[in-house]
Amino acid sequence: MMTILFHMLSDHAFWGALVLVSLLWYSTITIYVAIKGVRDIRKMLQRLSELKSARER
Amino acid sequence: MQGLSWIDGGIIGLYLFLVMAAGIWVRKYVGKVEDFLVAGREMDVYLGIASLAATEFGIVTCMYAAQNGYDKGFSGAVPGLLFFAAMFVVGRTGFCIKPLRDAGVITIPELFERKFGSRIRRAAGVVIVLGGLLNMGVFLRTGGEFLITVSGLNPDYLQSMMTALLVGVALYTILGGMLSVLVTDFLQFVVMSLGLLVTTVLLLYRIGWETLVAAVEIEHGAGGFNPFLHQEMGWSYVIFNLLLNTAAVLTWQTMIARVLSAKNSAIGRKIYTRTSFFFVARFLIPGIWGIAALAVLTPDQIGSNTLLAMPTMLGMMIPAGLMGLLIAAMLAADMSTDASYMLTWGSIIYNDIVAPFRKKNWNEKKGLFWNRTIIALIGLFLLVYGLWYRIEGDLWTYLGITGTIYLSSISVLLIACCYWEKANNWGAGAAIAVGALVPVLTLVLQKIGPWTLWFQRYDTSCGIAAFVLVALAMVAGSLLKAKVQTLRE
Repeated sequence: MMTILFHMLSDHAFWGALVLVSLLWYSTITIYVAIKGVRDIRKMLQRLSELKSARER
Repeated sequence: MQGLSWIDGGIIGLYLFLVMAAGIWVRKYVGKVEDFLVAGREMDVYLGIASLAATEFGIVTCMYAAQNGYDKGFSGAVPGLLFFAAMFVVGRTGFCIKPLRDAGVITIPELFERKFGSRIRRAAGVVIVLGGLLNMGVFLRTGGEFLITVSGLNPDYLQSMMTALLVGVALYTILGGMLSVLVTDFLQFVVMSLGLLVTTVLLLYRIGWETLVAAVEIEHGAGGFNPFLHQEMGWSYVIFNLLLNTAAVLTWQTMIARVLSAKNSAIGRKIYTRTSFFFVARFLIPGIWGIAALAVLTPDQIGSNTLLAMPTMLGMMIPAGLMGLLIAAMLAADMSTDASYMLTWGSIIYNDIVAPFRKKNWNEKKGLFWNRTIIALIGLFLLVYGLWYRIEGDLWTYLGITGTIYLSSISVLLIACCYWEKANNWGAGAAIAVGALVPVLTLVLQKIGPWTLWFQRYDTSCGIAAFVLVALAMVAGSLLKAKVQTLRE
Protein backbone atom coordinates (compact mmCIF):
# COMPACT_ATOMS: atom_id res chain seq x y z
CA MET A 1 0.00 0.00 0.00
CA MET A 2 2.87 2.37 0.80
CA THR A 3 4.27 1.78 -2.71
CA ILE A 4 0.96 2.86 -4.24
CA LEU A 5 0.92 6.00 -2.09
CA PHE A 6 4.51 6.77 -3.11
CA HIS A 7 3.65 6.39 -6.81
CA MET A 8 0.55 8.56 -6.45
CA LEU A 9 2.54 11.39 -4.90
CA SER A 10 5.46 11.20 -7.32
CA ASP A 11 3.97 10.23 -10.71
CA HIS A 12 1.64 13.05 -11.89
CA ALA A 13 1.44 14.28 -8.32
CA PHE A 14 -1.45 16.74 -8.91
CA TRP A 15 -3.88 14.02 -9.93
CA GLY A 16 -2.44 11.50 -7.44
CA ALA A 17 -2.79 13.92 -4.53
CA LEU A 18 -6.30 14.92 -5.69
CA VAL A 19 -7.42 11.26 -5.73
CA LEU A 20 -5.97 10.72 -2.25
CA VAL A 21 -7.54 13.88 -0.81
CA SER A 22 -10.89 12.95 -2.40
CA LEU A 23 -10.84 9.46 -0.86
CA LEU A 24 -9.79 10.80 2.54
CA TRP A 25 -12.34 13.63 2.53
CA TYR A 26 -15.13 11.35 1.29
CA SER A 27 -14.43 8.69 3.95
CA THR A 28 -14.42 11.31 6.72
CA ILE A 29 -17.60 13.08 5.57
CA THR A 30 -19.39 9.72 5.18
CA ILE A 31 -18.72 8.76 8.81
CA TYR A 32 -19.51 12.26 10.08
CA VAL A 33 -22.75 12.58 8.10
CA ALA A 34 -23.82 9.01 8.99
CA ILE A 35 -23.68 9.92 12.69
CA LYS A 36 -24.98 13.50 12.59
CA GLY A 37 -27.60 12.80 9.91
CA VAL A 38 -29.51 10.44 12.21
CA ARG A 39 -29.85 13.27 14.73
CA ASP A 40 -31.10 15.63 11.99
CA ILE A 41 -33.74 13.10 10.85
CA ARG A 42 -34.92 12.56 14.41
CA LYS A 43 -35.23 16.31 15.03
CA MET A 44 -36.99 16.92 11.72
CA LEU A 45 -39.58 14.18 12.26
CA GLN A 46 -40.16 15.24 15.87
CA ARG A 47 -40.77 18.85 14.82
CA LEU A 48 -43.10 17.85 11.98
CA SER A 49 -45.00 15.59 14.35
CA GLU A 50 -45.46 18.47 16.81
CA LEU A 51 -46.64 20.80 14.03
CA LYS A 52 -49.10 18.19 12.75
CA SER A 53 -50.52 17.61 16.25
CA ALA A 54 -50.86 21.37 16.75
CA ARG A 55 -52.72 21.72 13.44
CA GLU A 56 -55.07 18.84 14.30
CA ARG A 57 -55.88 20.37 17.71
CA MET B 1 -18.48 -11.94 -15.75
CA GLN B 2 -18.72 -13.75 -12.45
CA GLY B 3 -22.50 -13.40 -11.89
CA LEU B 4 -24.14 -12.85 -8.53
CA SER B 5 -23.69 -15.13 -5.50
CA TRP B 6 -26.30 -15.65 -2.74
CA ILE B 7 -24.30 -13.22 -0.53
CA ASP B 8 -24.63 -10.53 -3.23
CA GLY B 9 -28.35 -11.24 -3.55
CA GLY B 10 -28.78 -11.03 0.23
CA ILE B 11 -27.03 -7.65 0.46
CA ILE B 12 -29.10 -6.22 -2.40
CA GLY B 13 -32.36 -7.62 -0.98
CA LEU B 14 -31.68 -6.27 2.51
CA TYR B 15 -30.81 -2.84 1.13
CA LEU B 16 -33.99 -2.67 -1.01
CA PHE B 17 -36.17 -3.78 1.93
CA LEU B 18 -34.73 -1.18 4.32
CA VAL B 19 -35.05 1.69 1.85
CA MET B 20 -38.61 0.85 0.81
CA ALA B 21 -39.69 0.37 4.45
CA ALA B 22 -38.14 3.69 5.55
CA GLY B 23 -39.53 5.56 2.54
CA ILE B 24 -43.06 4.34 3.10
CA TRP B 25 -42.92 4.70 6.91
CA VAL B 26 -42.33 8.48 6.90
CA ARG B 27 -45.46 9.18 4.83
CA LYS B 28 -47.40 9.57 8.10
CA TYR B 29 -45.58 12.88 8.76
CA VAL B 30 -46.94 14.48 5.57
CA GLY B 31 -49.80 16.77 6.51
CA LYS B 32 -49.72 19.51 3.87
CA VAL B 33 -48.25 20.44 0.51
CA GLU B 34 -45.29 22.27 2.10
CA ASP B 35 -44.34 19.07 4.00
CA PHE B 36 -44.59 17.13 0.75
CA LEU B 37 -42.56 19.50 -1.43
CA VAL B 38 -39.96 21.04 0.93
CA ALA B 39 -40.17 18.80 4.04
CA GLY B 40 -41.85 21.62 6.00
CA ARG B 41 -38.53 23.54 5.64
CA GLU B 42 -37.15 21.58 8.61
CA MET B 43 -34.01 20.12 7.00
CA ASP B 44 -30.72 20.64 8.83
CA VAL B 45 -27.10 20.67 7.56
CA TYR B 46 -26.01 17.01 7.71
CA LEU B 47 -29.21 15.60 6.31
CA GLY B 48 -28.93 18.24 3.59
CA ILE B 49 -25.37 17.16 2.73
CA ALA B 50 -26.38 13.47 2.56
CA SER B 51 -29.44 14.25 0.46
CA LEU B 52 -27.67 16.59 -1.96
CA ALA B 53 -24.74 14.20 -2.45
CA ALA B 54 -26.98 11.15 -2.92
CA THR B 55 -29.25 12.96 -5.38
CA GLU B 56 -26.41 14.37 -7.46
CA PHE B 57 -24.76 10.98 -7.86
CA GLY B 58 -26.79 8.50 -9.89
CA ILE B 59 -25.74 5.59 -12.09
CA VAL B 60 -25.95 8.02 -14.99
CA THR B 61 -23.40 10.27 -13.23
CA CYS B 62 -21.13 7.31 -12.67
CA MET B 63 -21.46 6.28 -16.33
CA TYR B 64 -20.70 9.68 -17.90
CA ALA B 65 -17.88 10.46 -15.47
CA ALA B 66 -16.34 7.03 -16.20
CA GLN B 67 -16.83 7.60 -19.94
CA ASN B 68 -15.04 10.95 -19.49
CA GLY B 69 -12.19 9.11 -17.72
CA TYR B 70 -12.00 6.51 -20.48
CA ASP B 71 -12.21 9.01 -23.38
CA LYS B 72 -10.29 11.92 -21.87
CA GLY B 73 -8.10 10.47 -19.09
CA PHE B 74 -7.66 12.52 -15.91
CA SER B 75 -8.71 15.67 -17.82
CA GLY B 76 -12.21 14.16 -17.87
CA ALA B 77 -12.49 15.04 -14.15
CA VAL B 78 -12.18 18.79 -14.87
CA PRO B 79 -15.99 19.40 -14.80
CA GLY B 80 -15.88 18.18 -11.17
CA LEU B 81 -13.22 20.73 -10.24
CA LEU B 82 -15.22 23.51 -11.92
CA PHE B 83 -18.41 22.37 -10.15
CA PHE B 84 -16.58 22.44 -6.80
CA ALA B 85 -15.26 25.97 -7.43
CA ALA B 86 -18.68 27.29 -8.47
CA MET B 87 -20.53 25.67 -5.57
CA PHE B 88 -17.99 26.75 -2.95
CA VAL B 89 -18.08 30.38 -4.10
CA VAL B 90 -21.91 30.43 -4.24
CA GLY B 91 -22.13 28.80 -0.80
CA ARG B 92 -19.61 31.21 0.76
CA THR B 93 -21.08 34.37 -0.75
CA GLY B 94 -24.76 33.35 -0.80
CA PHE B 95 -24.87 34.68 -4.40
CA CYS B 96 -28.50 34.35 -5.53
CA ILE B 97 -29.30 31.48 -3.13
CA LYS B 98 -29.56 33.80 -0.11
CA PRO B 99 -32.18 36.16 -1.61
CA LEU B 100 -33.93 33.11 -3.09
CA ARG B 101 -34.28 31.30 0.25
CA ASP B 102 -35.06 34.49 2.14
CA ALA B 103 -37.96 35.13 -0.27
CA GLY B 104 -39.72 32.03 1.19
CA VAL B 105 -40.77 30.67 -2.20
CA ILE B 106 -41.20 26.97 -3.09
CA THR B 107 -39.70 27.24 -6.61
CA ILE B 108 -37.56 29.69 -8.61
CA PRO B 109 -40.37 30.68 -11.05
CA GLU B 110 -42.45 31.74 -8.02
CA LEU B 111 -39.74 34.33 -7.29
CA PHE B 112 -39.77 35.46 -10.93
CA GLU B 113 -43.47 36.28 -10.72
CA ARG B 114 -42.70 39.01 -8.17
CA LYS B 115 -40.42 40.86 -10.61
CA PHE B 116 -41.46 39.75 -14.09
CA GLY B 117 -45.15 38.81 -13.75
CA SER B 118 -47.19 35.62 -13.98
CA ARG B 119 -46.56 34.93 -17.71
CA ILE B 120 -42.81 34.75 -17.13
CA ARG B 121 -43.44 32.46 -14.16
CA ARG B 122 -45.35 30.03 -16.36
CA ALA B 123 -42.88 30.29 -19.26
CA ALA B 124 -39.96 29.67 -16.87
CA GLY B 125 -41.84 26.68 -15.45
CA VAL B 126 -42.34 25.22 -18.93
CA VAL B 127 -38.66 25.48 -19.98
CA ILE B 128 -37.48 24.13 -16.61
CA VAL B 129 -39.75 21.12 -17.01
CA LEU B 130 -38.79 20.63 -20.68
CA GLY B 131 -35.02 20.72 -19.95
CA GLY B 132 -35.35 18.60 -16.82
CA LEU B 133 -37.50 15.88 -18.37
CA LEU B 134 -35.28 15.54 -21.46
CA ASN B 135 -32.32 15.36 -19.11
CA MET B 136 -33.69 12.70 -16.79
CA GLY B 137 -35.22 10.79 -19.70
CA VAL B 138 -31.95 8.92 -20.32
CA PHE B 139 -31.41 7.87 -16.70
CA LEU B 140 -33.42 4.65 -16.83
CA ARG B 141 -31.79 3.01 -19.86
CA THR B 142 -28.29 4.06 -18.81
CA GLY B 143 -28.83 2.72 -15.28
CA GLY B 144 -30.24 -0.54 -16.66
CA GLU B 145 -27.29 -0.99 -19.04
CA PHE B 146 -24.88 -0.55 -16.13
CA LEU B 147 -26.64 -3.07 -13.89
CA ILE B 148 -27.01 -5.66 -16.68
CA THR B 149 -23.38 -5.33 -17.78
CA VAL B 150 -21.83 -5.36 -14.31
CA SER B 151 -23.90 -8.26 -12.96
CA GLY B 152 -23.84 -10.36 -16.14
CA LEU B 153 -27.66 -10.65 -16.23
CA ASN B 154 -29.57 -11.41 -19.45
CA PRO B 155 -30.12 -8.06 -21.34
CA ASP B 156 -33.73 -9.14 -21.96
CA TYR B 157 -34.38 -8.37 -18.28
CA LEU B 158 -33.38 -4.68 -18.64
CA GLN B 159 -36.87 -3.31 -19.23
CA SER B 160 -38.66 -5.36 -16.57
CA MET B 161 -35.87 -4.74 -13.99
CA MET B 162 -35.86 -0.97 -14.51
CA THR B 163 -39.66 -0.83 -14.55
CA ALA B 164 -39.78 -2.62 -11.17
CA LEU B 165 -37.13 -0.27 -9.76
CA LEU B 166 -38.97 2.83 -10.98
CA VAL B 167 -42.31 1.60 -9.58
CA GLY B 168 -40.66 1.05 -6.17
CA VAL B 169 -39.08 4.52 -6.17
CA ALA B 170 -42.30 6.16 -7.41
CA LEU B 171 -44.27 4.40 -4.66
CA TYR B 172 -42.38 5.93 -1.73
CA THR B 173 -41.97 9.30 -3.47
CA ILE B 174 -45.71 9.52 -4.18
CA LEU B 175 -46.56 8.61 -0.59
CA GLY B 176 -43.98 10.61 1.36
CA GLY B 177 -42.73 13.34 -1.01
CA MET B 178 -39.63 15.22 0.10
CA LEU B 179 -39.72 13.56 3.55
CA SER B 180 -39.36 10.09 2.01
CA VAL B 181 -36.74 11.43 -0.38
CA LEU B 182 -34.65 12.89 2.47
CA VAL B 183 -34.82 9.82 4.72
CA THR B 184 -34.08 7.35 1.91
CA ASP B 185 -31.37 9.69 0.56
CA PHE B 186 -29.63 9.43 3.92
CA LEU B 187 -29.60 5.61 3.83
CA GLN B 188 -28.62 5.68 0.18
CA PHE B 189 -25.76 8.12 0.82
CA VAL B 190 -24.22 5.77 3.40
CA VAL B 191 -24.56 2.62 1.24
CA MET B 192 -23.45 4.43 -1.93
CA SER B 193 -20.39 6.00 -0.28
CA LEU B 194 -19.31 2.68 1.21
CA GLY B 195 -19.55 0.95 -2.17
CA LEU B 196 -17.75 3.74 -4.06
CA LEU B 197 -14.87 3.96 -1.57
CA VAL B 198 -14.29 0.20 -1.21
CA THR B 199 -14.42 -0.35 -5.00
CA THR B 200 -11.98 2.51 -5.72
CA VAL B 201 -9.44 1.39 -3.12
CA LEU B 202 -9.67 -2.19 -4.44
CA LEU B 203 -9.08 -1.04 -8.04
CA LEU B 204 -6.10 1.14 -7.05
CA TYR B 205 -4.65 -1.79 -5.09
CA ARG B 206 -5.19 -4.40 -7.81
CA ILE B 207 -4.27 -2.34 -10.89
CA GLY B 208 -1.76 0.13 -9.42
CA TRP B 209 -1.39 3.87 -9.96
CA GLU B 210 1.52 3.57 -12.40
CA THR B 211 -0.55 1.28 -14.68
CA LEU B 212 -3.40 3.81 -14.72
CA VAL B 213 -1.03 6.70 -15.50
CA ALA B 214 0.72 4.68 -18.23
CA ALA B 215 -2.62 3.82 -19.88
CA VAL B 216 -3.59 7.51 -20.00
CA GLU B 217 -0.16 8.50 -21.35
CA ILE B 218 -0.30 5.91 -24.14
CA GLU B 219 -3.89 6.60 -25.16
CA HIS B 220 -4.20 10.37 -24.66
CA GLY B 221 -0.66 11.75 -24.22
CA ALA B 222 -0.35 15.11 -22.41
CA GLY B 223 -4.03 15.85 -23.16
CA GLY B 224 -5.00 13.09 -20.72
CA PHE B 225 -3.62 15.21 -17.87
CA ASN B 226 -4.22 18.74 -19.14
CA PRO B 227 -7.66 19.61 -20.60
CA PHE B 228 -6.27 22.50 -22.66
CA LEU B 229 -4.01 20.08 -24.55
CA HIS B 230 -6.72 17.46 -25.23
CA GLN B 231 -7.96 17.54 -28.84
CA GLU B 232 -11.63 17.00 -27.87
CA MET B 233 -11.56 19.52 -25.02
CA GLY B 234 -9.61 22.81 -25.05
CA TRP B 235 -10.82 26.24 -23.95
CA SER B 236 -14.37 25.93 -25.27
CA TYR B 237 -14.96 22.73 -23.26
CA VAL B 238 -13.62 24.29 -20.05
CA ILE B 239 -15.52 27.58 -20.48
CA PHE B 240 -18.78 25.78 -21.37
CA ASN B 241 -18.45 23.55 -18.31
CA LEU B 242 -17.70 26.51 -16.05
CA LEU B 243 -20.83 28.31 -17.28
CA LEU B 244 -22.91 25.13 -17.16
CA ASN B 245 -21.83 24.15 -13.65
CA THR B 246 -22.27 27.66 -12.25
CA ALA B 247 -25.76 27.79 -13.75
CA ALA B 248 -26.52 24.33 -12.32
CA VAL B 249 -25.39 25.38 -8.85
CA LEU B 250 -27.69 28.40 -9.05
CA THR B 251 -30.77 26.85 -10.64
CA TRP B 252 -30.66 23.04 -11.00
CA GLN B 253 -33.99 22.00 -9.54
CA THR B 254 -32.73 19.14 -7.34
CA MET B 255 -29.97 21.34 -5.86
CA ILE B 256 -32.14 24.40 -5.30
CA ALA B 257 -34.80 22.19 -3.66
CA ARG B 258 -32.27 21.54 -0.85
CA VAL B 259 -31.68 25.28 -0.34
CA LEU B 260 -35.45 25.86 -0.29
CA SER B 261 -36.00 22.95 2.14
CA ALA B 262 -33.32 24.22 4.53
CA LYS B 263 -34.38 25.86 7.80
CA ASN B 264 -32.93 29.21 6.67
CA SER B 265 -30.52 30.71 4.14
CA ALA B 266 -27.50 30.27 6.47
CA ILE B 267 -28.14 26.49 6.62
CA GLY B 268 -28.68 26.42 2.85
CA ARG B 269 -25.29 28.12 2.31
CA LYS B 270 -23.57 25.72 4.74
CA ILE B 271 -25.01 22.74 2.85
CA TYR B 272 -23.54 24.15 -0.38
CA THR B 273 -20.11 24.96 1.08
CA ARG B 274 -19.70 21.63 2.86
CA THR B 275 -20.96 19.50 -0.05
CA SER B 276 -18.90 21.33 -2.69
CA PHE B 277 -15.82 19.08 -2.54
CA PHE B 278 -18.06 16.06 -3.09
CA PHE B 279 -18.29 17.20 -6.72
CA VAL B 280 -14.56 16.58 -7.20
CA ALA B 281 -15.03 13.00 -5.93
CA ARG B 282 -18.21 12.71 -8.03
CA PHE B 283 -16.16 13.03 -11.23
CA LEU B 284 -12.80 11.70 -10.05
CA ILE B 285 -13.87 8.36 -8.50
CA PRO B 286 -15.86 7.10 -11.53
CA GLY B 287 -13.17 8.73 -13.71
CA ILE B 288 -10.60 6.42 -12.08
CA TRP B 289 -12.94 3.48 -12.84
CA GLY B 290 -13.06 4.58 -16.50
CA ILE B 291 -9.26 4.85 -16.61
CA ALA B 292 -9.03 1.40 -15.00
CA ALA B 293 -11.18 0.08 -17.89
CA LEU B 294 -8.77 1.76 -20.32
CA ALA B 295 -5.86 0.04 -18.58
CA VAL B 296 -7.20 -3.51 -18.31
CA LEU B 297 -9.57 -4.04 -21.27
CA THR B 298 -8.66 -4.66 -24.89
CA PRO B 299 -10.51 -2.75 -27.68
CA ASP B 300 -12.28 -6.03 -28.62
CA GLN B 301 -13.71 -6.35 -25.11
CA ILE B 302 -15.12 -2.81 -25.25
CA GLY B 303 -16.48 -2.51 -28.79
CA SER B 304 -17.71 0.84 -30.11
CA ASN B 305 -19.69 1.95 -27.04
CA THR B 306 -17.18 3.37 -24.52
CA LEU B 307 -20.07 4.01 -22.10
CA LEU B 308 -20.07 0.30 -21.22
CA ALA B 309 -16.29 0.00 -20.74
CA MET B 310 -16.42 0.74 -17.00
CA PRO B 311 -19.23 -1.71 -16.06
CA THR B 312 -17.55 -4.40 -18.21
CA MET B 313 -14.30 -3.89 -16.29
CA LEU B 314 -16.09 -3.92 -12.90
CA GLY B 315 -17.83 -7.19 -13.83
CA MET B 316 -14.41 -8.75 -14.33
CA MET B 317 -12.54 -7.21 -11.37
CA ILE B 318 -14.99 -7.20 -8.46
CA PRO B 319 -15.21 -10.41 -6.38
CA ALA B 320 -18.40 -12.05 -5.04
CA GLY B 321 -19.67 -10.37 -1.88
CA LEU B 322 -18.24 -7.03 -2.88
CA MET B 323 -20.31 -7.20 -6.08
CA GLY B 324 -23.47 -7.18 -3.92
CA LEU B 325 -22.23 -4.06 -2.10
CA LEU B 326 -21.36 -2.38 -5.42
CA ILE B 327 -24.78 -3.11 -6.95
CA ALA B 328 -26.55 -2.00 -3.74
CA ALA B 329 -24.45 1.19 -3.86
CA MET B 330 -25.36 1.87 -7.47
CA LEU B 331 -29.03 1.07 -6.86
CA ALA B 332 -28.87 3.52 -3.96
CA ALA B 333 -27.33 6.14 -6.23
CA ASP B 334 -29.97 5.62 -8.90
CA MET B 335 -32.99 5.45 -6.62
CA SER B 336 -32.09 8.64 -4.75
CA THR B 337 -31.60 10.48 -8.04
CA ASP B 338 -34.83 9.23 -9.65
CA ALA B 339 -36.91 10.00 -6.54
CA SER B 340 -35.57 13.50 -6.18
CA TYR B 341 -35.86 14.32 -9.88
CA MET B 342 -39.48 13.15 -10.04
CA LEU B 343 -40.40 15.15 -6.94
CA THR B 344 -38.59 18.40 -7.69
CA TRP B 345 -39.64 18.65 -11.33
CA GLY B 346 -43.14 17.65 -10.30
CA SER B 347 -43.10 20.58 -7.86
CA ILE B 348 -42.48 22.99 -10.78
CA ILE B 349 -45.40 21.52 -12.76
CA TYR B 350 -47.68 21.82 -9.74
CA ASN B 351 -46.51 25.18 -8.40
CA ASP B 352 -45.80 27.12 -11.59
CA ILE B 353 -47.67 25.53 -14.50
CA VAL B 354 -50.87 24.01 -13.05
CA ALA B 355 -51.47 26.21 -9.98
CA PRO B 356 -51.74 29.61 -11.75
CA PHE B 357 -54.67 28.23 -13.82
CA ARG B 358 -56.85 27.23 -10.88
CA LYS B 359 -59.70 29.60 -10.12
CA LYS B 360 -59.68 29.32 -6.31
CA ASN B 361 -57.14 28.01 -3.80
CA TRP B 362 -57.04 24.26 -3.37
CA ASN B 363 -57.18 22.72 0.07
CA GLU B 364 -54.17 20.69 1.27
CA LYS B 365 -55.82 17.35 0.42
CA LYS B 366 -56.45 18.35 -3.19
CA GLY B 367 -52.95 19.86 -3.47
CA LEU B 368 -51.36 16.62 -2.25
CA PHE B 369 -53.52 14.60 -4.65
CA TRP B 370 -52.34 16.65 -7.65
CA ASN B 371 -48.70 16.52 -6.59
CA ARG B 372 -48.91 12.73 -6.33
CA THR B 373 -50.66 12.45 -9.69
CA ILE B 374 -47.98 14.60 -11.38
CA ILE B 375 -45.18 12.41 -9.95
CA ALA B 376 -46.95 9.28 -11.23
CA LEU B 377 -47.21 10.86 -14.71
CA ILE B 378 -43.51 11.82 -14.69
CA GLY B 379 -42.72 8.20 -13.79
CA LEU B 380 -44.78 7.07 -16.78
CA PHE B 381 -42.90 9.49 -19.06
CA LEU B 382 -39.56 8.19 -17.75
CA LEU B 383 -40.61 4.65 -18.62
CA VAL B 384 -41.66 5.49 -22.18
CA TYR B 385 -38.98 8.04 -23.16
CA GLY B 386 -36.24 6.46 -21.06
CA LEU B 387 -36.48 3.09 -22.74
CA TRP B 388 -36.52 4.20 -26.40
CA TYR B 389 -34.31 7.29 -26.79
CA ARG B 390 -30.72 6.60 -27.85
CA ILE B 391 -28.00 9.20 -27.40
CA GLU B 392 -25.68 10.46 -30.17
CA GLY B 393 -22.25 11.58 -28.92
CA ASP B 394 -21.14 11.37 -25.30
CA LEU B 395 -23.56 11.27 -22.38
CA TRP B 396 -22.16 14.25 -20.44
CA THR B 397 -22.54 16.52 -23.46
CA TYR B 398 -26.14 15.32 -24.06
CA LEU B 399 -26.96 16.10 -20.43
CA GLY B 400 -25.20 19.46 -20.76
CA ILE B 401 -27.05 20.44 -23.92
CA THR B 402 -30.50 19.39 -22.65
CA GLY B 403 -29.80 21.06 -19.30
CA THR B 404 -28.79 24.25 -21.13
CA ILE B 405 -32.39 24.51 -22.45
CA TYR B 406 -33.19 26.07 -19.12
CA LEU B 407 -29.90 26.50 -17.28
CA SER B 408 -28.75 29.38 -19.50
CA SER B 409 -31.98 31.35 -19.38
CA ILE B 410 -33.07 30.64 -15.80
CA SER B 411 -29.63 31.42 -14.35
CA VAL B 412 -29.54 34.75 -16.22
CA LEU B 413 -33.11 35.49 -15.07
CA LEU B 414 -32.26 34.63 -11.46
CA ILE B 415 -29.16 36.86 -11.42
CA ALA B 416 -31.09 39.71 -13.07
CA CYS B 417 -34.05 39.19 -10.71
CA CYS B 418 -31.85 39.38 -7.62
CA TYR B 419 -29.33 42.04 -8.62
CA TRP B 420 -30.42 44.14 -11.65
CA GLU B 421 -33.08 46.74 -10.99
CA LYS B 422 -33.70 47.51 -14.68
CA ALA B 423 -34.51 43.87 -15.57
CA ASN B 424 -38.11 43.48 -16.74
CA ASN B 425 -40.49 41.00 -18.40
CA TRP B 426 -39.45 41.85 -21.99
CA GLY B 427 -35.85 40.95 -21.22
CA ALA B 428 -36.94 37.85 -19.31
CA GLY B 429 -39.18 36.66 -22.15
CA ALA B 430 -36.46 37.19 -24.76
CA ALA B 431 -33.90 35.37 -22.58
CA ILE B 432 -36.20 32.34 -22.11
CA ALA B 433 -36.94 32.10 -25.85
CA VAL B 434 -33.27 32.37 -26.89
CA GLY B 435 -32.12 30.03 -24.11
CA ALA B 436 -34.49 27.29 -25.26
CA LEU B 437 -33.96 27.80 -28.98
CA VAL B 438 -30.17 27.38 -29.22
CA PRO B 439 -29.85 24.00 -27.40
CA VAL B 440 -32.98 22.57 -29.06
CA LEU B 441 -31.61 23.55 -32.50
CA THR B 442 -28.26 21.98 -31.59
CA LEU B 443 -29.94 18.72 -30.56
CA VAL B 444 -32.07 18.61 -33.73
CA LEU B 445 -29.22 19.55 -36.08
CA GLN B 446 -26.99 16.90 -34.50
CA LYS B 447 -29.44 14.32 -35.82
CA ILE B 448 -30.69 15.71 -39.15
CA GLY B 449 -29.55 17.96 -41.98
CA PRO B 450 -26.22 18.54 -43.77
CA TRP B 451 -24.47 20.07 -40.71
CA THR B 452 -24.73 17.00 -38.43
CA LEU B 453 -20.96 16.54 -38.06
CA TRP B 454 -20.30 20.26 -37.50
CA PHE B 455 -22.88 20.42 -34.69
CA GLN B 456 -21.53 17.25 -33.09
CA ARG B 457 -17.98 18.63 -33.21
CA TYR B 458 -18.75 22.15 -31.96
CA ASP B 459 -21.46 21.29 -29.43
CA THR B 460 -19.66 23.02 -26.54
CA SER B 461 -19.25 26.21 -28.62
CA CYS B 462 -23.02 26.10 -29.24
CA GLY B 463 -23.47 25.78 -25.46
CA ILE B 464 -21.33 28.88 -24.82
CA ALA B 465 -23.25 30.75 -27.54
CA ALA B 466 -26.51 29.91 -25.72
CA PHE B 467 -25.29 31.58 -22.49
CA VAL B 468 -23.91 34.67 -24.27
CA LEU B 469 -27.01 35.15 -26.43
CA VAL B 470 -29.33 34.73 -23.45
CA ALA B 471 -27.48 37.42 -21.47
CA LEU B 472 -27.61 39.75 -24.48
CA ALA B 473 -31.33 39.05 -24.97
CA MET B 474 -32.02 39.88 -21.31
CA VAL B 475 -30.14 43.19 -21.52
CA ALA B 476 -31.52 44.16 -24.94
CA GLY B 477 -35.13 43.23 -24.09
CA SER B 478 -35.07 45.08 -20.76
CA LEU B 479 -33.48 48.23 -22.21
CA LEU B 480 -35.86 48.18 -25.17
CA LYS B 481 -38.91 48.14 -22.91
CA ALA B 482 -37.46 50.99 -20.83
CA LYS B 483 -36.87 53.00 -24.01
CA VAL B 484 -40.38 52.33 -25.39
CA GLN B 485 -41.89 53.39 -22.08
CA THR B 486 -39.84 56.61 -22.08
CA LEU B 487 -40.98 57.41 -25.63
CA ARG B 488 -44.63 56.76 -24.71
CA GLU B 489 -44.37 59.06 -21.71
